[in-house]
Amino acid sequence: MANVLWLQGGACSGNTMSFLNAEEPTVVDLVTDFGINILWHPSIGLEIGAQVNDLLKDIIAGKVTMDILVFEGTIIQGPNGTGTMNYFAERPMKDWVKELAAVAGYVVAIGDCATWGGIPAVDPNPSDSVGMQFFKKHKGGFLGIDFVSKGGLPVINIPGCPAHPDWITQILVAISTGRIGDVLIDEYHRPRTFFTDFTQTGCTNVVNFANKIDGGFGKRGNGCLFYEVGCRGPMTRSSCNKILWNRQSSKTRANHPCLGCTEPGFPHNDLVKGSVFKTMRYLGVPDDTPTGNSKIGYMLRAGFEKTLGVLEGAAGITKAFNEGSK
Amino acid sequence: MATLVKELNISPVGRVEGDLDVRVYMENGVVTRAHTQAAMFRGFERIMAGKDPQAGLIVTPRICGICGGSHLYCASSALDTVWKTTLTPNALLLRAIGQATETAQSIPRWFYAIFATDMANKKFANKPLYAEVVKRFSAYVGTSFQKGVTASGRPVEVYALFGGQWPHSSYMVPGGVMCAPTLKDITRAHAIMNQFRKDWLETVWLGCSVERYLEIKTWDQLLAWVDENESQKNSDLGLFIRAGLQFGLDKFGQGVGKYITTGTYLEKDHYNQPTVEGRNAALISRAGFYDGRNYSVFDHMKVKEYVEHSWYETVPGAHPWSEPLPTPVPSQSLHNSDVSGKYSWSKSPRYMEMAAEAGPLARVVINADPGHLAPHQLYDPLFGDIMKQIGPSVFTRVLARMHEAPRNYHYVDQWLRQLDLNGEFYIKPEERDGQGFGATEAARGALAHWIEIENGVIKNYQVVAPTTWNVGPNDASGQAGPIEAALTGIEIEDESDPVEVGMVARSFDSCLVCTVHAHDAKSGKTLAKFKL
Repeated sequence: MANVLWLQGGACSGNTMSFLNAEEPTVVDLVTDFGINILWHPSIGLEIGAQVNDLLKDIIAGKVTMDILVFEGTIIQGPNGTGTMNYFAERPMKDWVKELAAVAGYVVAIGDCATWGGIPAVDPNPSDSVGMQFFKKHKGGFLGIDFVSKGGLPVINIPGCPAHPDWITQILVAISTGRIGDVLIDEYHRPRTFFTDFTQTGCTNVVNFANKIDGGFGKRGNGCLFYEVGCRGPMTRSSCNKILWNRQSSKTRANHPCLGCTEPGFPHNDLVKGSVFKTMRYLGVPDDTPTGNSKIGYMLRAGFEKTLGVLEGAAGITKAFNEGSK
Repeated sequence: MATLVKELNISPVGRVEGDLDVRVYMENGVVTRAHTQAAMFRGFERIMAGKDPQAGLIVTPRICGICGGSHLYCASSALDTVWKTTLTPNALLLRAIGQATETAQSIPRWFYAIFATDMANKKFANKPLYAEVVKRFSAYVGTSFQKGVTASGRPVEVYALFGGQWPHSSYMVPGGVMCAPTLKDITRAHAIMNQFRKDWLETVWLGCSVERYLEIKTWDQLLAWVDENESQKNSDLGLFIRAGLQFGLDKFGQGVGKYITTGTYLEKDHYNQPTVEGRNAALISRAGFYDGRNYSVFDHMKVKEYVEHSWYETVPGAHPWSEPLPTPVPSQSLHNSDVSGKYSWSKSPRYMEMAAEAGPLARVVINADPGHLAPHQLYDPLFGDIMKQIGPSVFTRVLARMHEAPRNYHYVDQWLRQLDLNGEFYIKPEERDGQGFGATEAARGALAHWIEIENGVIKNYQVVAPTTWNVGPNDASGQAGPIEAALTGIEIEDESDPVEVGMVARSFDSCLVCTVHAHDAKSGKTLAKFKL
């Protein structure tokens, strides 16, 4: 049994929409079968007006237990630290969050905005947005480096733009069923169970990555998107190709480069010219090399593979295995 | 009798996406004036300035997690017009399928999770159909609630087959789409859409076949359809029509009576060389304006945005291509806002200087125009007649939203059949500088992007969203926005539970969270407070 309060700051509601896509369990199953009691949620909560205001005050006063505070969206601090670019129930949202986080059993940040700032925090960050306990790669964020909730954990970060519904539901269920001890978190406070492997783990293009075969848009082949169109699958920790999206697919399976949205710093390179759907390079070598490779090591290995591929081609060894078919 | 003045604090109303406050001035329980306040600022247009020309493909879907595919449709289209791309029929079909499946998702999700739970409000407890409404539409436990919310996930599974995931894919790119589907994808997509039809659309919602429903052409035929058999009468649509009329939902929330659409679904063989000028003629669901008497074809050059009452430095009303990037000024909480000055983060878009309602009701009104019609375009007379017979209201707006589900299903089915697996999906374009325009109909209404690229980076990016049309504050001439107008005149029966205000705001599917304040219409002072 767990009481959950879900609030949104500088948000697009995308994580809520993702959450509503949940299957096994569905959102309704969470309520009816898994002991999740949603105290309030901006899109599906029934209470209105002063009922919500009273609820927030009762939680802060300790009259209502809030086991989990879920926050979606950035903490808007602008302008000049006032937070008045985001009023909620007559107060800057950041002031509510500070008081609520202090009484929460666990604090769960959902999506890139809440974890490290996401798109609203891209330069020039017009709303002075930060994440709950990180700002981009830097620990601290809104609640500060030392924040731990009453349950003894710092903010649990479930990144992604949006987060996958299973990542959300499983953490809520782990808390409500007393399994939170099984949730280990990494240096960015992400549950390791979802963010140890890479997006590339399970990608259908992994053989072509190894063989250095280029892919591209609109092509039904099995070329890898890392070399030309900026795929970040080899350096992004996520389970997108292990737990598929909408029960069907993933970006890379649909020939869509991974954007690296579960890593702090998304959107990477702050969307500068030449960084969108293009692999940024210096002297022909990708600026970002797969995690676990030194730049020079990667360059030597990749050069060797490419050269060998050309030689094999010249020797008549067919590459037909990487052609796709309708 | 003395004038009875009340102040209500509904803060927030909820079940409206985002942050919205509304101040309502009331006299004897009747709203005399309303002001809408968008209460959150992120500054997306500022974020995009100076960035990669394709930044909008990643950034704009994340303006709104509910209409992300619609933003992508606009962002890719705007770049198509600047870069003078060539779009293959497959590319146009796959983009239209993305748009249509996103909208299909929104229809049941909005109806059950956001709107219909209000029909189970105690305000209607003395109505004969109340017990049945509670049984079906109550949150979480209603017999149709879980079916509808679960079914809403199906259409976006089709989106994920082609886009990788929903929400927040960027699979539509200038020159086409990223994906190149195979036979497996087409077969699965058909199967998933059939599941949507069999699990909810025909069995729960209509009580008849999609084909039978689409035969309805007039209000009288719709009423006759309800009574035709038990299956239709007891379907969720049958119940909504009977209960909606019995509960009086057709009696409030009229609005400004002017309607705007930017149109959507570019026909596969009519927009292969995208241009701003060629767009209207290539649409299936038409772009138009209806002023209450006459229809005209939409012209994006007639759109202007005003910021007199918005928290940005005041500049003259301007077309989005000529608008400066907004410069924020200090904001206030609703309680401290002066509505004679600036009071919202939303701008006020106007068409030929007029406020206009965007949304499904606008779409069905424009698509009932017998003129301005090409053979590939949609003509559906039903709401032309409904507007004559019963006029606009909360009821009509909801009916319009739900009316789109069967046609949407039909379109996706047809477009999947037209995909040519031997054809191309993407033609790499050449990057250029220039001005572009892209638009669509998001589930909740007209959505348009204007872009200017200079020296290979974004110089100006302007987005006018459906909620901007609907929820914008007064303009320079004091003309109210559509939701402000729709709230005016409503009667609030129980000031401790003003469900009518919520129903009006939710009937527009506002992408905001509401807070409503009511003030003395004469002195503007707070006279009494009622805790809910």
